[in-house]
Amino acid sequence: MAAIETEGLERTFKGGLTAVAGVDLAVREGEVYGFLGPNGAGKTTTVRMLVTLLRPTGGRATVAGHDVAREPDAVRRRIGVALQEAALDPLMTGRELVELQATLHGISPARVRGRARELLERVDLLDAQDRRVGTYSGGMKRRLDLALALIHEPAVLFLDEPTTGLDPVSRMTLWDEVRRLKAAGTTVFLTTQYLEEADQLADRVGIIDGGRLVAEGTPAELKAEAGHARLDLTFAAGGDGPDLEAAAAALRPFGTPAPGTDGTHLRLALPGGAAEIAPIVRALDEAGVELRGLQVVQPTLDDVFVARTGHRLDPEEPRADAAAGPR
Amino acid sequence: MTGRARIVLWLGRRGLNEVLRVPGASIPGVLAPTIFLLGLTSMFGAAARLPGFTADDFATFIVPVGMLQGAAFSGAATGVNLARDIERGWFDRLLLVPAPRLTLLAGIVASAALRSLLPSSVVFAAGLLIGVPWPGLGATALAFALVMGLALGLACYATTLALAFRTQQAAPLMQMGGFVLVLFTPAFAPEDLLAGWMHAIATVNPVTYVLEGARQGFVGDVTWPRTWPALAALGGMLALLGSLAVRGMRRTGR
Repeated sequence: MAAIETEGLERTFKGGLTAVAGVDLAVREGEVYGFLGPNGAGKTTTVRMLVTLLRPTGGRATVAGHDVAREPDAVRRRIGVALQEAALDPLMTGRELVELQATLHGISPARVRGRARELLERVDLLDAQDRRVGTYSGGMKRRLDLALALIHEPAVLFLDEPTTGLDPVSRMTLWDEVRRLKAAGTTVFLTTQYLEEADQLADRVGIIDGGRLVAEGTPAELKAEAGHARLDLTFAAGGDGPDLEAAAAALRPFGTPAPGTDGTHLRLALPGGAAEIAPIVRALDEAGVELRGLQVVQPTLDDVFVARTGHRLDPEEPRADAAAGPR
Repeated sequence: MTGRARIVLWLGRRGLNEVLRVPGASIPGVLAPTIFLLGLTSMFGAAARLPGFTADDFATFIVPVGMLQGAAFSGAATGVNLARDIERGWFDRLLLVPAPRLTLLAGIVASAALRSLLPSSVVFAAGLLIGVPWPGLGATALAFALVMGLALGLACYATTLALAFRTQQAAPLMQMGGFVLVLFTPAFAPEDLLAGWMHAIATVNPVTYVLEGARQGFVGDVTWPRTWPALAALGGMLALLGSLAVRGMRRTGR
């Protein structure tokens, strides 16, 4: 059984803006599914529908075997959610928040204390448990948010851009926790703008753009679809700069080189893989072109994104529908 | 204690955090009705000598008004805080749990009843300090119970607005409701001395009956004929405003 399944899922807001335009997904149990897309692509709207915060205007979705529109309470019992902004009450202490969350999920008073302690220890916040959340750092807040999402041992965990704005150490800590959850059999639906994050954590990746799923597969499958590895060549600058024309002529038997942006680079596709490198270097040497450096670049998820959408995934670039409200 | 009661208790307790952990936040809600009491008493104290005025002195007459104003401030604050919770995303956290929406609403508004005890107690104490006679234990208990009930009703009203507008910018609307309801009553003069149009509005304003109920002991004795209309009016307000808030919760929750 799929942990998450959608068919033609749609959401159109008042005013006619369609944020999600017919998404079909099937996330297997125990899988980490990376949901990748730029700001405004429809990631958060999709998540808000899947976690019952927003009613779909078209299509259907089931989470943990329950329909999100018809059985929202059953869905809520099975899911844990850490939304984009860690919405935590700054006046409460970490321990109070975890205990409140446990109470909201109907955990018996006898178990609340023990469960709270267990989770706070797991996210390394035991020492800070009696401090007000307003004094926590961004990374601590994210970890507390994760603890809150896990309080009732959900079968499916939704993490909406969990590492946005975090420092590298906090990001790694969160990644480790996601790996631990996967090992424990939890299904994780992870939205992110970071290609590396999806590449590192996800068993499969779905790429959404303009409210539509434009690609889906394992990171390796998607990258293989995006084409061959390429060779980036850097040439030593002479008096008037490197002789790129001579270099390009020497490279022509191996393919059509593309110039880089700074006048010292050429890029060449490597359909034959690394075996082509030695002949290429020899050809350049024989042509008297001085090579300064070379690098084999494997296709990335960004290449997949470009291939499927025609533009790059830029986390910093806001999109028109990013400002659309949740209702 | 049931799971639902524990949720109401926790959310109610959370609502009190602002009073208990940010003491400065409750100063406006406490000061405003106290200043009203002291200021209006010093300016219009002589009004009590008008023929037909039902109290011996003006301060005694308006202490219950100040207490109800405290209730209005507390009710509005609940709505403003909810709007802030919606803006910050905290409210989504509540909507993501399988608890009944009615339980969540009860927890959110429950704190208003408790919060209202702070300004109303300060107004009551200020009244006693400036010479208002002790109204008796029964009358005091009834007055505070009505204050808490009105705070609950007005919290439902403010909550409905918060759920509809989802922004703190709706705060003036939340505050105005309670202010107007308390103002358009025989707040500062007995009903028979009110101008015709004001008298007509006060007659249909349910807060008039709540105020007259709370005024017992301060003015006249506590009697059942003045108590039941207060309870009925409050019950009606709670039913109407509560159902609007429940409707808002259910619509927002889905």
